[in-house]
Amino acid sequence: MFIQIKDLCFCYGNSKDDTIKNFDLEIDKGEIISILGESGSGKSTILRLLCGLETPSKGQISIAGKVMTDDRRFVLPEKRGIGMVFQDYALFPHMTVAENIQFGLKGYGRKAKKERTNEVLDLVNMAKYSKRYPHELSGGQQQRIALARALAPKPALLLLDEPFSNLDADLQIKIRSELKDIIKRTGTTSIFVTHDREDSKAIADRIITMRDGAAHDWESICTTRQEKSKLELVDMK
Amino acid sequence: MKLIRKLPGYINIWTWLSLIIVVLILLPNVSILINFFTQEADNWEHIQEFILPDLLKNTSLIMIFTGILAIFLGTSLAWLVSAYDFPMKKFFKWALILPLAIPPYIAGYTYNGILNYTGVIQTTLRNQFGISVDQKYFDILTLPGAVFIFTLFLFPYVFTITRAFLANQSASLIENARLLGRNAWEVYFRIVLPISRGAIVGGTSLVLLEVLNDYGLVQYFGVPTFSTAIFQTWFGMNDINSAIKLSATLMFIVFAVLIIEKLLRGRKKYSNTTAKVRPLNPIQLKGRKAWTAFSYCLFIFSLGFLIPFIQLLDWMFLTFDKIASPEFTTLIQNSLLVSFIGAAMISVFAVIIANFSRMHQSFFSKSAARVTILGYSIPGAVIAVGISTVFIDIDNLLFSFYESIGMEPTLFLSTSLFMLISAYVIRFLAVGYNSVESGFDKIGNKFTEASRMLGMNMTKTFFKVDLRMIKGPLISGFILSFIEILKELPLTLILRPFNFDTLSTQAFQYAGDEQIHEASLASIIIVVISGIAIYIFHQVLEKEPN
Repeated sequence: MFIQIKDLCFCYGNSKDDTIKNFDLEIDKGEIISILGESGSGKSTILRLLCGLETPSKGQISIAGKVMTDDRRFVLPEKRGIGMVFQDYALFPHMTVAENIQFGLKGYGRKAKKERTNEVLDLVNMAKYSKRYPHELSGGQQQRIALARALAPKPALLLLDEPFSNLDADLQIKIRSELKDIIKRTGTTSIFVTHDREDSKAIADRIITMRDGAAHDWESICTTRQEKSKLELVDMK
Repeated sequence: MKLIRKLPGYINIWTWLSLIIVVLILLPNVSILINFFTQEADNWEHIQEFILPDLLKNTSLIMIFTGILAIFLGTSLAWLVSAYDFPMKKFFKWALILPLAIPPYIAGYTYNGILNYTGVIQTTLRNQFGISVDQKYFDILTLPGAVFIFTLFLFPYVFTITRAFLANQSASLIENARLLGRNAWEVYFRIVLPISRGAIVGGTSLVLLEVLNDYGLVQYFGVPTFSTAIFQTWFGMNDINSAIKLSATLMFIVFAVLIIEKLLRGRKKYSNTTAKVRPLNPIQLKGRKAWTAFSYCLFIFSLGFLIPFIQLLDWMFLTFDKIASPEFTTLIQNSLLVSFIGAAMISVFAVIIANFSRMHQSFFSKSAARVTILGYSIPGAVIAVGISTVFIDIDNLLFSFYESIGMEPTLFLSTSLFMLISAYVIRFLAVGYNSVESGFDKIGNKFTEASRMLGMNMTKTFFKVDLRMIKGPLISGFILSFIEILKELPLTLILRPFNFDTLSTQAFQYAGDEQIHEASLASIIIVVISGIAIYIFHQVLEKEPN
């Protein structure tokens, strides 16, 4: 398995209940996974745990055979080689589009940096905009740049947190198919989090639904029941 | 288990530096508390019996009356400029903050100079109208006089905080009350005052802490309070242990003020829970009402800024040739030097702790943030006592080291500028910290997280991303703490090296020697620089309503 999450638990500092309870998930290389759930179901927390911005209280995460965290180890976020597209993109406002993308290209030579920047800008169809500042771009354009920035360092895993929540409906449908296209072309293993069932259906190879901090397989949702009977399962069809 | 996982995230330069800064800040304060319970003091019993009751009486009288009057002035003016339109309202909005530019001790001697026998009022009455007045009606050097000065020159704390609250938070409630048929007075007493309770309590506690911090005014007015008593037992009676005990007692009073503030404010913070902020639509006042509002604002502005400022200008022109000398240039240089170094250190420390505490939501990081702002509540005289005991201890520890490098074994650190600047940092770190913290609050953590996801560690992220984005708040924190240090009196008086004078100590000494006119140039420089800063910050605040 390319990505293995075992028995992951997490609770935020001041709450008694675990936000994430015994979460298990395995993902193949190149797969696009969607985590679907209502707000407060803990889906964004899973992403933050994966990339190391939060520390789990229990459990193990390994990516491409390397243990990211278990009882004894914890790899800092900047050392994990994970790309992330933030909900509101978090493009650095004091840098141009090109500078934003080059920010993550550590260890590239000057020329290689430029080449890779052009490559990903081409990939997202934004080659003309490299000199612009983020505030000079529309919402959809900003999102593409955020995607390009996350893909530029060739991450082992790409995480997208509610990638469409800041776009209006028309744009959302258009960008949805584009996004799937781009990610498939790069072959990057991806996880994206959404509360919109249509988004999930349109992009994902596999859909995981989340309720009360635990995962449920889309396929298995109406057939098998997990032993934790208090988790109420709903018909997702 | 979780701790082990968390360690890699914690072990970095930010944590260590924060830890060191927190210890440095706590050390002098803790040493006072420890000494309070352990050390014997020669005069303590005598002080407890004969002096302490007076100190407590004076301090509480000044605090109670200043508090009540400042609330009255601050809230009424805040309400006027928020809810009504009248002539020159835009001007008064920031002009009524200007009294803060005049430190109470400068205001005190200026008013005494205006009102005393040779002052402008009495000489005019005598020479123009042949009226001689009973001196007791013109004697400001009393406890009520001190309350008068404190109120006039500190009420802007209540005014600004309440005004900011009313401008942003209260529109729907107040408009509803109006629609329900309540008149202006009812709205003020039944809606405005209760809903702005948190803001009023916050502003008033700042006023009271400033009162407790003051040394210059009460000393000049001859009203004994804790600050003057600490000076007296320390330098007059040479009894540092009694000074420590007085300091600790004063610290307990400060803690009481802070606890009462917390209780009174209750769970209510300054802001509403709703995200939508709609400004209050002011009502246009006409005719007599408009001119009454205008006159009230003008009256307070004149008393709190215009009159003392003009008087200081007048004196400055009288004495300019005599005072403006090469020695005076040294004074300015000294003031700028300590203010600059102090503000720079404050900015660096503030950024380190603010950055650390936002990255880690833990008990330690929260306590670090609280300790950082603790110093601002602690009166200068107390910090001075604490820091010099610590520095003298350090010097004693280093005694053999000094000897080994061939230095004259002396009190090297405790007679250096280093001690004074450390004291400034402890006292005013909160000023820089609050500014930087609000800057970090505004940008949130997402940019930092984005940068770390792109492979930058915390320190690189800080220099490449965070620092660029908090540049504005950082600069304003620097300027604000610069000005606080420039105005500062008690710490500077106690801790400055021998023969080292600043603008504020010079002004205070001239005034103390009854050379009020000579004190004006140094005072004017302090007032003008502070005034400009207030103006600039008001402009900035107006642009960003939150």
